[in-house]
Formats: sequence, structure tokens, C-alpha cells
Amino acid sequence: MIRLTDVNKTYQGVVPLHVLKGINLRIDKGELVSIMGASGSGKSTLLNILGILDNYDSGEYYLDGTLIKNLSENKAADYRNRMIGFVFQSFNLINYKDAMENVALPLFYQGVSRKKRNRLAMEQLERMGLAERAHHLPGEMSGGQKQRVAIARAMITNPSIILADEPTGALDSKTSHDVMEIFRKLNAEEGKTIVIVTHDPGVAEQTDRLIRISDGLIVPAAIPADGISKPQACVMPDGGIITPPEIV
Amino acid sequence: MTDLAREIWQTLGHNKLRTALTGVAVTWGIFMLIVLLSMARGVTNAFDYNMLSRNTAMIRVWGGKTSIPYHGNREGRYIEFDESDHKIVVEENSGYVEGISSSISGGGKLSTPKGEVSQNYKGVYPSDFTPSRHGDIKEGRFINDRDMKTKSKVIVIPQYYAKQLFPPEGEGALGGRIDCNGLSFKVVGVYESQWNREAYIPFTTARMLSSNQNKFGNLSVELKNVSTEADGSDAESGIRKTLAAFHNFDPEDENAVYISNDFNNALTGKMAMGILDTCVWVLGILTLLTGIVGISNIMFVTVKERTHEIGIRRAIGAKPHKILTQVIAESVAITVLFGYIGIVLGTAVTQLLSSVIGNADMLRNPTVSLSIAFEVTLVLIVAGALAGLFPALKALKVKPVEALRDE
Repeated sequence: MIRLTDVNKTYQGVVPLHVLKGINLRIDKGELVSIMGASGSGKSTLLNILGILDNYDSGEYYLDGTLIKNLSENKAADYRNRMIGFVFQSFNLINYKDAMENVALPLFYQGVSRKKRNRLAMEQLERMGLAERAHHLPGEMSGGQKQRVAIARAMITNPSIILADEPTGALDSKTSHDVMEIFRKLNAEEGKTIVIVTHDPGVAEQTDRLIRISDGLIVPAAIPADGISKPQACVMPDGGIITPPEIV
Repeated sequence: MTDLAREIWQTLGHNKLRTALTGVAVTWGIFMLIVLLSMARGVTNAFDYNMLSRNTAMIRVWGGKTSIPYHGNREGRYIEFDESDHKIVVEENSGYVEGISSSISGGGKLSTPKGEVSQNYKGVYPSDFTPSRHGDIKEGRFINDRDMKTKSKVIVIPQYYAKQLFPPEGEGALGGRIDCNGLSFKVVGVYESQWNREAYIPFTTARMLSSNQNKFGNLSVELKNVSTEADGSDAESGIRKTLAAFHNFDPEDENAVYISNDFNNALTGKMAMGILDTCVWVLGILTLLTGIVGISNIMFVTVKERTHEIGIRRAIGAKPHKILTQVIAESVAITVLFGYIGIVLGTAVTQLLSSVIGNADMLRNPTVSLSIAFEVTLVLIVAGALAGLFPALKALKVKPVEALRDE
């Protein structure tokens, strides 16, 4: 589903900053993976590239069999719209649109008729158990509800992958758990490929595979050499030890 | 389209006060534009009306006194006209001259036992009165050939004087008698006109009454085949040459005859009206510009404030042109919305003015036409699009990565 081969990215500046130093990464269809890394490790840059929000300098990135490289703004927007569902830390709902309109927005940019996209948005909200909140503004909802609206929005275009950037960062532990439950359910029941970027080991534990990034490189320990056997426990830069989650 | 309209409505509604305050500037600009335009229109209308109601294809000549000795004639000679002048001017300038007539004025005062007015009579030919130019005959008739032949003492007066001489409403004016210099004239016609106040009597009668019976002081030359100022000047110099040769005065002598070239004056006047119109548009649009800058400014602020939101929209798949269209459409929407309030207010004020002032001499029907409203609408749309263009280009620079930044 996702295949990165020797992806490099350097930010030009007074002192050029080489943030990604040859990333090799493979995420298969139906995987639920987490990406962890300290700040400055290149984690955000990797996420931007995976989300087609940013370009890379060299290497190759295939998403669902499509080479994502040097795309025009229009093409990138189109791919983001159809192939990627974003879930953000701060929800990123549009505050003057109600839940249903927010969920329907990606379809608006596909040119889907109002009636149809509102119907599809309602279906997504029902799945998230938010049908009765459809006409509430984000300001009238709790953090957990907002994040569920955001997940509904990410799901509405039936994307190839869900990219979640610190999806539980703004939530308390109980709600975090609920949101993770949703991700696990989407993964298990619909086979959605989900990539979660997090710094919370508790979140990482609930995913099937952990990818660690450090200093612009994937930490090899997280990827078993044969690609089949269970991942090994790995040591985080801050000294914490993460035990690999059981694959369900 | 309706989706775009909804989007605009939502975002404008999101910041009602600011939208309204910005809009006021545009409303004011358009209001001023409409009021100025309608005033200019009023002045132009008044001008056109006065010009149209007179025959402007005319050159009028008055006899004067020579100031240059010429061919053995000393200066200080009076130039007067008679029928032979009519003949020769028509003959020698047949290319330009349609017809020629003269009038003799005199009397000074018209009175009845019930009222009097200070007004000369004017002795004219039957052909000198055209309903479309001089007024409509309401009762009776105009001077006819029989009056001319018999030099009868008949008079045609405007309704305006009929009311004063036969108060209160001018009843009994037709067939009534009016005294002038001890002579009694019978009213044979009453006409109505907004501006014409002449009291007409037969030319022959007036001539008989004048002290200088064979001569008259003026010529009215009706022109044909003239369209440009050069044509008008040609006709004028032709007439002057003919008269100079006929009366033996220096053609360069400005005092021998006075010539009023109504045709060229009207052309100049029309040009002045055109310039006035242009000036008003320029002024109006400059006023509007203040409003436009305001809109542009507010759109910049809006784009700045919504950077994060635009980033989100970009991240979830909004193509650049969608963002561009939305910002420009918002700008056009504000401009047109508040512009129309300005149009409505401006039209209301000019209608009010129109009903208060009515049809004064210098201002006639000061309202704007449908075509102006259409032009102003066009100006509004273009202005709104321009106001939105630069903020929209700024919005385009917002990268989808903005969505990932915390607010």
C-alpha cells in the first residue's frame, strides 16, 4: 500500500537541514501501524510526505501503486482528496460548519451534489454514533466527539489510507482509548490501512506494528529482517522500552 | 453554484459586523456615484430639453453699426434688413440655407382689464411656429396667411399669460381682447409650452406698427445639411459674406452684423455635457475606490485569519482554483450586495430630489436610467473581483501543511 524507497528530504536554508536520510518503508494493505520518534527526528516531515502535503528530493514513494512524485498542486489535491483520509491532533474542523457539513466537505471538493454528500455524511456520522450531533457546531462538542467527526470526514471518501497525526494528543486517556478503539475497529472490520503518528507509547501499543524513526532514518530494530516474524522490543531514545504489541 | 453561494453566505455571516462595516464604504461609494450621475443626467436632460425644444439648426443675425470704412463708405453706418436680404441669402447659400425669416418685436406691455404682463409682442410668419419646437396650440389657431395679408390685429399667447391676463384660469382668453400700446388685439390662439413665453402677432401687423416700416433688425436663418462644427462655421461665414457684399461692408467688420451661431453653440454644449458625464464617472469611481480598497483590505485580513482553515481545505483536497474562486466570489458578493444597497439608496434620494425640484431650468428629471444601473452593476462586479484578486492570490500561497500547524 505504501512503499518508500530511499526517500531523502533536505530543507534548504542558511544551513541546509538533511531531515530524511534515505527512508525505506513498506506498509501493507490492512496494516495498523504507528510511527514514533522524538521531535526533530524527521517524523513530521515523513508524515507530510506520506500525506502528499510536501515534496521529497530523491527516492520513490508509491501509494496504492501510484508513484507520488513532483505532482502539480491540482494533482496532489486530487490524490489527497481521494486516497488519503487525514485525522489531526487539533481536529481541524471548520468551526462555522456543523458536523455534517464538515464531514461532507471532502465530497464538496469532488463535486458531489449536496443532497448525496449530506446523505453520505449522515451515514458516516451514524457509524461514529454521532447522528444526533449532526447539526451541532464543533464548538458545541467535546474533544472526543470532534475527533470522531474528523474520523468520519477522513472516511467519507473511502480513502486508501488513514493518516492520523497525534490523534489522541488533545484528548484525555479515556477518550484516547475510545478513539483508538475506533481505529482498531476500522482496521479490523473494514481492513483500512491506518498510519498513526504518535509519541504516546500507550497508543503505539495498540497498533500492530511500530515504526521508529530517529535522526532521519527508520530504526531497523522495529522491522524484523524477514518481514514476517513479530517485531522485537525496542529501546526509545529517552530510554523507555516498548514491547511489541500482539497482533490480533 | 448554489454550493458556492452557501459557502459565501456562511463565511460572510461568520463575521457580520466586520462585513457590514466594510460594506458601508462600498454603499457610500455607489450612493455617491448614483447621486452624481443622476445630477449630471439632470443637467444634461435640461440642456437637451432646452436645445431640442428650440430649433438648434439656426443662425440668427442682428443688424449692427459698421466700425470700419469700406469701399468709400464711412464707419458708423447702420445695417438693417428687408425682404431682399431674405432672397439673396437663400439664393447665394442654397447649400446650407433651408429658409429664412425675420421677426419684429415691440409693445413692451400686454394688458386686459383684469391683469397685465411685461412682454413684447413678436411679429412672425405663420411658418415660424412649429408645435414640436415652440409649444402645443391648446385652443384656437396660430397666425395664418390671411392675418398676414390683412395685417389684422390678432395675437397668440401662451397659457401662462392667459392665466394672468384672464384670471384665474384663463377662461375666456380665446376671443378675448388684449391691449398693447393703445391698440386692441384679439386672441385667436392659446398655446402651451414649458419655456416659451412669446406673444405672437402677424409679421405684417408688427411691421406696420414699427417706426421703421420697411426695415427689420434681424434675420433667422434655418440651416440644412449641417452636422459638424465646420459645417456650422461654413454656413456662418457664407451668410456673413453675402450680407457684407450686399450691404457693402467689410466682411471682417464684427460690428456690422452680429451673428449667433445656435448650431455650433449647441454642438459645444453637447460636448460639454459629454465631458461633464465623463468627469462624474471619474469622480464617482474614485469615491468607489475608497470602498474597494476597504474590501480588499478586509479580504486580506480574512485570508490571514483563515490561513489555518484554508490549509485544512487544501489538505482535504481543495484545488487551488477552488480557493481562488471562493475568495474572489466572496469579495464580489460583498461588493455587489452593499453596492446594491447604495444603488437603492441613491435612487431613492434622486427620486426624492426629482419630486422636490421637479423640472427646474438647470435640472430636469435627475434620475438614472436602467442602462446606468446596468453599467454600475458591471463596475461593481469588476471592482469586487479586483478587490478580491490580490487577497485570493495570497490565499493561494497557503500550503496544505498549514493544516498540521496548531492554531
